[in-house]
Amino acid sequence: MKRTLLVCVLFAVFSCQQRETAAPSAAAPAPAAKPFKAGLLTPGSINDGGWNAIAYEGLQRIKNELGAEVSNQETKTPPEMLDGFRSYGAKGFDIAFGHGFEYQEPAKQAAAEYPNTIFITSSGNTVTNNVSPMRFQIEESTYLLGVIAARESKTGKAGLVGGINLPSIDSSFVAFKAGAQSVNPKFEVKTIYTGNFDDVGAAKVATLSLINAGCDFIFHQANEAGRGVFQACTERKVRCFGSNKNQTDMAPDYVVASAVVDVPAAFVEMAKIVKEKRFKPGEQHFGFNNNIVRLEWNDKLKASISPQTIAEVDRLTNEIKAGTLKPPAGF
Amino acid sequence: MRRFAVAVIAAAAAIVLLAFSGALFGHSPWSLLSIVASGSVGSRFALASTLLKSVPLLLTGLSVAIAFRAGVWNIGGEGQFIVGGLAALVASRFGIVASLAAAMLAGAAWASIASAMRLWRNAPEVLTTILLNFTAIHLLGWSVNGPLREHAGQYPQTDLAHVALPEIGGVHFGIVIALAASVFAWWLLYRTAAGLRLRATGLNPNAARWAGIRVGAQLARAMAISGAAAGLAGGIELLGVTHRLFERFAAGYGYSGIAVALLAQLHPLATIASSLFFGALVTGAGELQRAAGISAGVATFGQAVVILTLIVFEHVRADR
Repeated sequence: MKRTLLVCVLFAVFSCQQRETAAPSAAAPAPAAKPFKAGLLTPGSINDGGWNAIAYEGLQRIKNELGAEVSNQETKTPPEMLDGFRSYGAKGFDIAFGHGFEYQEPAKQAAAEYPNTIFITSSGNTVTNNVSPMRFQIEESTYLLGVIAARESKTGKAGLVGGINLPSIDSSFVAFKAGAQSVNPKFEVKTIYTGNFDDVGAAKVATLSLINAGCDFIFHQANEAGRGVFQACTERKVRCFGSNKNQTDMAPDYVVASAVVDVPAAFVEMAKIVKEKRFKPGEQHFGFNNNIVRLEWNDKLKASISPQTIAEVDRLTNEIKAGTLKPPAGF
Repeated sequence: MRRFAVAVIAAAAAIVLLAFSGALFGHSPWSLLSIVASGSVGSRFALASTLLKSVPLLLTGLSVAIAFRAGVWNIGGEGQFIVGGLAALVASRFGIVASLAAAMLAGAAWASIASAMRLWRNAPEVLTTILLNFTAIHLLGWSVNGPLREHAGQYPQTDLAHVALPEIGGVHFGIVIALAASVFAWWLLYRTAAGLRLRATGLNPNAARWAGIRVGAQLARAMAISGAAAGLAGGIELLGVTHRLFERFAAGYGYSGIAVALLAQLHPLATIASSLFFGALVTGAGELQRAAGISAGVATFGQAVVILTLIVFEHVRADR
């Protein structure tokens, strides 16, 4: 008896709510001109100061620069991702971003049901008529970092510290190595993966061991844990590179240059492409050509780099922009 | 009757507090409630999504209810869910039945590590089950980065399972299994001698011992059944929803099971309603974030309110 009542009341509570819903949604007037709508699903909190925050910043810029109506949701499981995408599809969103490779399957499923919405995943390889991945060609920049390291190193060795061995990370390392060995085929590049993106201590220990092994240039792809890399380099007075954003302020006396990926700008560019109906299914490339991937020097240290190296980097930058030089990628 | 009133008050408190928390962001309580309602039961997709989320919650809720009834504090649903998923994936080549059986066995075995430590070394299961959660999370992380990594080798996830649960109208067959499991749990606890022994042990282990019940064996049995239910939840989630494993596979279902079971006052059949309530809450919270920009974390907030309200009532009753 008690049980049945409990079930009944819980259902009653919900059905009451449902009745309340019906009225306002039916009464909503149809807008005169259809505004451009962009949605974003992130795998974590938009306040994380990293991966998710950067995507949210992109969404805010879409709102401000394109006058779009925007919406976002934190989605941790595939059913939530699918809900999010379907909801954007049902509400007539023009573009829906899924910020990570894990959004490919839900995007593909929702895209089949809502052909008028374009679903974009940050990295990945799933392409359909209205699903495409964004591909940030950070390799173009890390290739040049490799060139700088090989030209300026005294020991002939550089060290790379990675978080988790993901294709996008491995690929940036492949390009670094290729850049270095284009200068000196015998240049040695040592790599350590710490297995996560937040253990600052592990990244520091990995960096110290690379320095002990004779590396005099360090590049990292460890996100938040990268802090440990800069601590180690500052302690041991070893030069290093920043990744993803300009990280000069992490170690102002040792960060020579940074491989910058302007993700928010890419989000705006992607939305613009869709808004202007220029979208073509396939990998959406963002690199040197649209100034979304850049190499940014630390002006304070640039004077300590030989003019020949700087000239060579400038020349290679132009070749990459022109498409005559294609840095290798790991995938 | 009183217990039931308490559960309703707790659920209502969660809804009311959720509605008024929106006032801080400049939304009217009614509009928020209508968003949550339309996002959880307002359309076919929303309803399917609520049901999909309720299935693992029902099973992890049952897992907790059975253990707590027997006086065993199994907080390890998350870990048992994960090993259930792992076993189901590995065994999926042998068919759905074998895969789900493997999930239950794995969950039971994982939980039994904790009861073994309790029985032989007197290690409190509250601690060991929580610690086994972390062990399972790392086991999963290592598996999807190592031996079970997809053949394409691109991402830290496994290949698709060899089999999938059949679907009816957007909801997989696991819902039938979960409902059957809750009826079975009710029958076991309230209609069999074995169930009576379990409950007697939970109510008062000393009295149970004097009555000739082997308390240690009851504890081990409750833990194994509880682990099997959580493992089954993981297996069903794998074969019905995710179809592959990745690091965030469990997504807190194991812990949410505690809230589900407490709201249901540890009753297997009431767990059905309770899991629907939380499933709707989580699904509605997603819509709340999309439509009103309020963090989906409010669903967790709702769970906390339910548990706190229940605890307050427990204390009020105990004080009298």
